[in-house]
Amino acid sequence: MTTVPALAQATHEIAHAPAWALLILGLPILGVLQSMVCALLGVKSKAPAFLTVGCLAGAFVTTAALYSWFDPANGPAVVTAWEWFAIGDFTATFGLYIDTLTIFWMLFVTGLATLIALYASEYMSHDVGPGYCRFFFAFNLFVFSMACLVMGANLAMLYLGWEGVGLCSYLLIGYFYKKDSAVQAAKKAFIVNRIGDLGLALGLYLTFVHFGTIEYAELFGSAQLEGYIDLAMAGNYAAIPAQAQWIPILLMIGAFGKSAQFPLYVWLPDAMEGPTPVSALIHAATMVTAGVYLVARFYPVFLASEYALPIVAWTGTVTALLAATIGMAQFDIKRIMAYSTVSQLGYMFAGLGVLTPTGAGYHVLTHAFFKALLFLACGAVMHGFAGQLDLRKLSGLRRVKGWGIVTLGMFVGCINLAGIPFTAGYFSKDTILAEAFVTPGTAAIGWILLFTAGLTAYYTFRVFFRVFMGPVHYEPGDDLHDHADDHAHGEEHNHDAGEHGDEHDHGFHPHAPGWAINTVLATLAVCSLLASGLYIVGGKTLDLHGHDYKAKHYASTMIQQSTASFVTPYDHHGFEAAGIHHDDTATAETAADDHAEDTAHAAVVHGPYGDLAHPNTVLGMDPHKGMYYISAAFGLVGIVLAWWFHLAGRTTAAQCRMDAVARNFGPIPRWAEHKWYVDELYEKLFRGPLHLISNHVFRPFDKYIVDGLVNAIGWLPRIGASIIRPSQSGELQGYAAGMIVGLTILLFLILTVVISIGGGA
Amino acid sequence: MEHLVHPLLLYLACLLGGLGIALALPRPRYKLALIGGLIAAAGGGLVVLMLSLKAYDTDPGALPNVFFYAFAAIALAAGLRVITHHRPVYSALYFILTIIATAGLFLLLSAEFMAFALIIIYAGAILITYLFVIMLATQAPAEGDEELQAEYDTTSREPWVAAGAGFVLLGILTTMMFRGVGELPAPAYEPDSEILAQLPGKVETILTNSDLRDAEDLLADGETLLRETDPETGESLGRLVIARSAEGHAQVIAVDDEGNERRLTLDHEFTPTNIERLGINLLRDHPMTIEIAGIILLMAMLGATVLARKQVEFEEALKAHEQRRLHDAKAEQTGAAEA
Amino acid sequence: MINDALSSLTLAQTGFPDSVAGVTLAHYLSVSAAMFTLGVIGFITRRNLIVMFLCTELMFQAAGIALIAFGRYHLNFDGQTFVIFVLCIAAAEAAMGLALIVLLFRKAESLSAGEWKELQG
Repeated sequence: MTTVPALAQATHEIAHAPAWALLILGLPILGVLQSMVCALLGVKSKAPAFLTVGCLAGAFVTTAALYSWFDPANGPAVVTAWEWFAIGDFTATFGLYIDTLTIFWMLFVTGLATLIALYASEYMSHDVGPGYCRFFFAFNLFVFSMACLVMGANLAMLYLGWEGVGLCSYLLIGYFYKKDSAVQAAKKAFIVNRIGDLGLALGLYLTFVHFGTIEYAELFGSAQLEGYIDLAMAGNYAAIPAQAQWIPILLMIGAFGKSAQFPLYVWLPDAMEGPTPVSALIHAATMVTAGVYLVARFYPVFLASEYALPIVAWTGTVTALLAATIGMAQFDIKRIMAYSTVSQLGYMFAGLGVLTPTGAGYHVLTHAFFKALLFLACGAVMHGFAGQLDLRKLSGLRRVKGWGIVTLGMFVGCINLAGIPFTAGYFSKDTILAEAFVTPGTAAIGWILLFTAGLTAYYTFRVFFRVFMGPVHYEPGDDLHDHADDHAHGEEHNHDAGEHGDEHDHGFHPHAPGWAINTVLATLAVCSLLASGLYIVGGKTLDLHGHDYKAKHYASTMIQQSTASFVTPYDHHGFEAAGIHHDDTATAETAADDHAEDTAHAAVVHGPYGDLAHPNTVLGMDPHKGMYYISAAFGLVGIVLAWWFHLAGRTTAAQCRMDAVARNFGPIPRWAEHKWYVDELYEKLFRGPLHLISNHVFRPFDKYIVDGLVNAIGWLPRIGASIIRPSQSGELQGYAAGMIVGLTILLFLILTVVISIGGGA
Repeated sequence: MEHLVHPLLLYLACLLGGLGIALALPRPRYKLALIGGLIAAAGGGLVVLMLSLKAYDTDPGALPNVFFYAFAAIALAAGLRVITHHRPVYSALYFILTIIATAGLFLLLSAEFMAFALIIIYAGAILITYLFVIMLATQAPAEGDEELQAEYDTTSREPWVAAGAGFVLLGILTTMMFRGVGELPAPAYEPDSEILAQLPGKVETILTNSDLRDAEDLLADGETLLRETDPETGESLGRLVIARSAEGHAQVIAVDDEGNERRLTLDHEFTPTNIERLGINLLRDHPMTIEIAGIILLMAMLGATVLARKQVEFEEALKAHEQRRLHDAKAEQTGAAEA
Repeated sequence: MINDALSSLTLAQTGFPDSVAGVTLAHYLSVSAAMFTLGVIGFITRRNLIVMFLCTELMFQAAGIALIAFGRYHLNFDGQTFVIFVLCIAAAEAAMGLALIVLLFRKAESLSAGEWKELQG
């Protein structure tokens, strides 16, 4: 009997979800079909975009309806569309598994998809025609795949969605297929993802082999898994079979590939070659969270393994730090945002690793909103300045007419990302950081993550202070000649000194964003701000495995009622039982009761990190409370540094105080700018040898053996014919001779066979 | 069953024959024709020798049949020359010789109508046509001027292979013949009681086959006996003797039990000739074939006429066209010269 | 036994002089086979179209001998009837064939069978 109600749903019967839940899959398919029809009909208006917005809005409404319909007390619900695989023992249905985790994820996926589709309707408007339809085709297909991934009822559906989002990511990164860098980036994304997918596939097989099923409903209700959890919580990892312990290791490889963790993160920055709505939706908010979703969904399995969660935690931490250091040294604002995505994903994984799935889930939600907001703002900048993204060439955009909402959106996103107090990002990051200090053995992770939070604040506001504040200066980017309303100007000469209020005599007019972009940015800004309110509302008392648990906020409510739930013993009681002082002190009686309960339970709860009964503190404070201040401090320090180096005293767009300081660090900034040469290392380590082998082994094999075989097959009839052809000499007597020979043979046969059979002489 | 000719010797004969013919066929440089012919003759002679020896072994009194061997030899030798002579006219003439020899063989087989029909139709019509065409088509040089002769006449096409193939065929045919002899059905007969008189030999055969012949009562050479018995009682009802009279006509002698004789001579009117028999067979048994043969001949006649005519027409049209073209060209030339 | 074999091949020839007695069916068939073979060899070997036709006629002759011999053996007149038809056909064929040869000769100015190789594959 464990106090960790990891399988909160285990004892419930599986309810039946309503069939209209399948609309969440069906409406994006409708969107796919309509974009195909538009492509076939050669539609040259923005109709595909608006139809897409309609379909996805419908999907969002359906999700909201599902949220209102779903009652977690009844346990997870399943709806099956049809029987997909039935091969021997292996069965997999094509259906949906609805629980709170699913709905939690799908709400922001469909909501963001709708908003970003609206944004894209304007952003991609210069491409109307077949390109436009192609974009929305892939967009809709992506939403469908993501829905399959998140809502799928078994690992096969998840895998389908996994591959589907990978495909759509490839299609959309390579949207500008005439650009070589985009094509290369798309290939890189797909291939690196594929490496992770191998882990996922193996995990799928191993799950089937070990548990006999890949359906969530059966897996998470099985007594076998419950038994493993019990053993794990008792600290008896040796009794859990190695097969079961390997499943999460394999699954996490897939998660790292899809969610761009070290060492498989290299594709995400390059994926910025795709159009910005794609970056916002796929590579910030939805697809990259699929790995987090996977780990969250399979949290019980991860708990049953001794090393899985520690590996996840440390990988996330290392990734967070690494990406932050690289992001500090980049100049392309979209790249910076990409690295920040990688870094924040590292946070989410670290959160999962330090046993706070709630924190990770909440961070996913908030990150989705503010990262999408940041990307869309960067996209607006790119769209308006003909593809210019270099922060050395843009400055003071808040003062340019028509860019107010973009600036505001960017500001809201930045404060969330940096973790300014009382923003949603602040609360969600804090949950993770606090738990890192609470869980024994992960304090190092906590300090590293705090430091990274400081770096995050620094580079985020570096972007904001460089691009949106300071003297007004802008140069158009490389897309200058593509836009109809730009003048075909050559290079813009730099402004050496002084602020110029009027840039119009250069002839380049920035293209201020239209209603669609502004609407979406405003909506997202508002949502990001409101998301902080989710930290306060939505709390409920839940009945988990016979215990009462007071979930404090919306995310906690949602996550703790799903398979991802994990409650440490001291969560029940706060820190009163351990005697640590809280701000809200409890009475002595309740403290004594709690303490008694706590010690009674404490003895039986271990985890991957050992005994969980005794939480740790940070700097003598209860981490949950103390973190509010500590992380705020780190964040503010980062912002101040950013202001000092990048805004204070800056007179030009290109130069700032940081340049002088950076020179003192020698080659290190340059290495950071080159992403610590990880790509080059991979090239030498993997791509180079593979290339060599391909060129010298596979290519000759293909050319001489495979092609040779095919050619030989073609050559044989010709040879055969050339052997037989001389018999058609055209000569009359030759044919007659042939006839005579045939007659002779026939007579001989009659002579020897027939007559001797007839009654030999 | 014992072979009439030992197979090894038969094949050896075939081999020799093949060798000889291959040498005898027209060849550009060597004049081995004579040698070839001799070798072929040796092969043939070997067969004859074996057959004669066999016949001698069985019945020393029986002499080989001169006429058959003569005609056969002439037929085969002439046939050899047909295929080996380098000048087509001689081939045709030798072929006529072959026809005559074949006619002789037909005569030996009592098919005198066919023999003469062969000579009249074949040698007298078909071969003459051949000769006409050969004259038309061959530009034969003077005797002795070998170089101008057409190459297709002087060289033969793969003589060795052809001779080999041909004589393998011959070997197999003859082997079949001898191998299959035992299984040949016994000569069939037509018990034709409507016509009273048959050739004596035929009657004899009929009697033998219907088991009415009494061998013990063979009266004389050329006489056969019929004994009539009552089918129910088995009593003898008398005897019929069919004999050949001194003149060679058939005679039927009825002898009853008391020894009374009555003679009936079937004179030559009752012995249908070959032509009559043939005619009867033709019209009674194969009327449709006659019609078809007629149609075929008609078609051949029409066809030949049509073939020849078209060519002429075509040639004339061609010539006319040529004339017109030359005329026009000339007119142009003169016109151009004038202008 | 050989007597039986021979006698079984005896052509019904009583009434003819002795000098033609003793010739069996086998003799005639041998002659026929030999002549047929000569015809085959000549057909395959000679290049002159007309001589090739003559060789086919030679084969007809051989067939005729065989037919009449069998007719005599079976004491049947079908053999001779058939030879009449063979003669008819030979005549018709000769007519047509020679007409065609003449046409071919006009086209190619030569009687060689090797001239006509257009069906060569």
